[in-house]
Amino acid sequence: MFSTQFAVQKFAQVVSVLVSSEGGEAKPRGFSFPPINTILRWKDVVPGINKVVIIAILSAVIGTALFLVAAMKDARKAPKGSRNLAEIIVEFIEKNIIMETMGKDGMGWTPFLLTMFVFIYLCNLPGIIPFIQMPATARMGVPAFMALLVWVVFNATGIKHQGFFGYFKNVLFPPGVPKALYILVTPIELISTLVVRPFSLAVRLFANMLAGHLLLVIFALLTQALIQAQTQKFFLVPIGVLPFALLIFLTGFEILVAFLQAYIFTVLTAVYIGGATHPEH
Amino acid sequence: MRVHVTTLQGGLVQVRIASDTATGGTEATAAESTGPNPIAPEGKELVWGAGSFLVFLVIMRVFLFPRIKKGMDARYNGIREDFESADSTRSAAKSDVSKYEAEIATVRAEAAARVDKARQTLDQERSSKIAEANARIATKRAAAEAELEAARNAVRDQVAAAVTSVTEHTTQLAVGKSPDASVVQKAVQQVMQTGARS
Amino acid sequence: MEALTRIAHASIRVAAELTPAEAKANAAAQMAGLAYGLAAIGPGIGIGMIFGKAIEAMARQPESAGMVRTTMFLGVAFTEALALIGFVAFILLKFA
Repeated sequence: MFSTQFAVQKFAQVVSVLVSSEGGEAKPRGFSFPPINTILRWKDVVPGINKVVIIAILSAVIGTALFLVAAMKDARKAPKGSRNLAEIIVEFIEKNIIMETMGKDGMGWTPFLLTMFVFIYLCNLPGIIPFIQMPATARMGVPAFMALLVWVVFNATGIKHQGFFGYFKNVLFPPGVPKALYILVTPIELISTLVVRPFSLAVRLFANMLAGHLLLVIFALLTQALIQAQTQKFFLVPIGVLPFALLIFLTGFEILVAFLQAYIFTVLTAVYIGGATHPEH
Repeated sequence: MRVHVTTLQGGLVQVRIASDTATGGTEATAAESTGPNPIAPEGKELVWGAGSFLVFLVIMRVFLFPRIKKGMDARYNGIREDFESADSTRSAAKSDVSKYEAEIATVRAEAAARVDKARQTLDQERSSKIAEANARIATKRAAAEAELEAARNAVRDQVAAAVTSVTEHTTQLAVGKSPDASVVQKAVQQVMQTGARS
Repeated sequence: MEALTRIAHASIRVAAELTPAEAKANAAAQMAGLAYGLAAIGPGIGIGMIFGKAIEAMARQPESAGMVRTTMFLGVAFTEALALIGFVAFILLKFA
């Protein structure tokens, strides 16, 4: 107990020393967080194309390549390598996402959800790949588009299956609610279905990936600042191991988050589409 | 001259009057926060992301996914057919085994019946032979008994004759005259019968 | 509430010696931290409860674990959204 307290105290001292260390005008020494746009906004490589755009395009290309290679293989043999991977993903979508949320009727949505899952996962994954370390979904562009697409798709599905008025009647006046409560329920349902759903879908993906990215940036910067510390306090350099260990741990955690966010985005899409196809009775 | 009004939670209001020249120095720090909003989507990223996703989706939907799904279904059906054929083979083998067992059972029953029959004939033969032997023994015994009887009768007749003659002699000696033969004979016969009986 | 007013007072005191832009940035930074901290309390408790209950349900009926897991992630996603909106508010206050 004492030793941990001591360690925490020392760590706090170290940080305070770093933060308050007087920096030169040209190159500030110590720990300083850069302006957020310098770690999020990337300069154009070619006009109109920056790092995030390249990652998004590469995700689509890698996904296509994986499934192309898998589709070219002989299907009758026991699946190996890329074919096995592709089939595992397809089965995951069918069993764990569609069967759990939409049932057997939703099987027609497999290609859409499969593509969505693979694309988002491959956009998330560069966040933890060394030397790339930028998830394309940590910028609002891709999540916003995906959420808008989902919004259009589930509303269109609802209108197609229940008719325009039937769909909005089911959305705005959910059956089984006392008549007097509609005064309260209808505005809530309107906002939650038409505004909050796409908004929260986009913000969830975006904010999770951005938060993970910022965490990695912070611990990487802290490690760098400690290791390059040019103060008289010589023990600062070895202490840089601590944020580095946390950086490694958080990178492992981000692998999980990348998968989980792709999964949650796809599951929520399936739930919204399933809800629009089969209204509650 | 500019007037800055700061309103904060709790209703505290700060009014600050500053000249334009004085605020000029702070533009450097303010510039950091006047850049594009980090949350706002960037046009080119949105357009390129949308384009690549839609192309990916179309390729998957039209070409790649049906191919993979068809392959998976074909293999699963093949595996299911294999399972079914294995099941049918197994049931055929089972019926063969049961047929074979039934045949074995009939053969075994036949053998048992044959053995029983043989045993029965054997028993019959033995009993007939025993009966024959018994009959032979019985006739022999009957013949022996008849002989014996005959011998006995002969002996008895001789004894009766002897006794008669003895009785005649003794009576002649005692009485002096020869007794009536028929009486003697009768007496002797009576004695002989009682003797034989006793 | 007292803490809030104290923070506000402190920011006022600091603001008295700063230029308006700096004062605004300062206040925004403080409020941003506070906003995110407050936004994280509820979802933290909520996500803990969701996972705990889901584990209980899975331990009680392992055969329905798949369904429970899917529903659990849905619940986590909805609960987490609140914390993430707090995070976005943080970014907006701090950098926008």
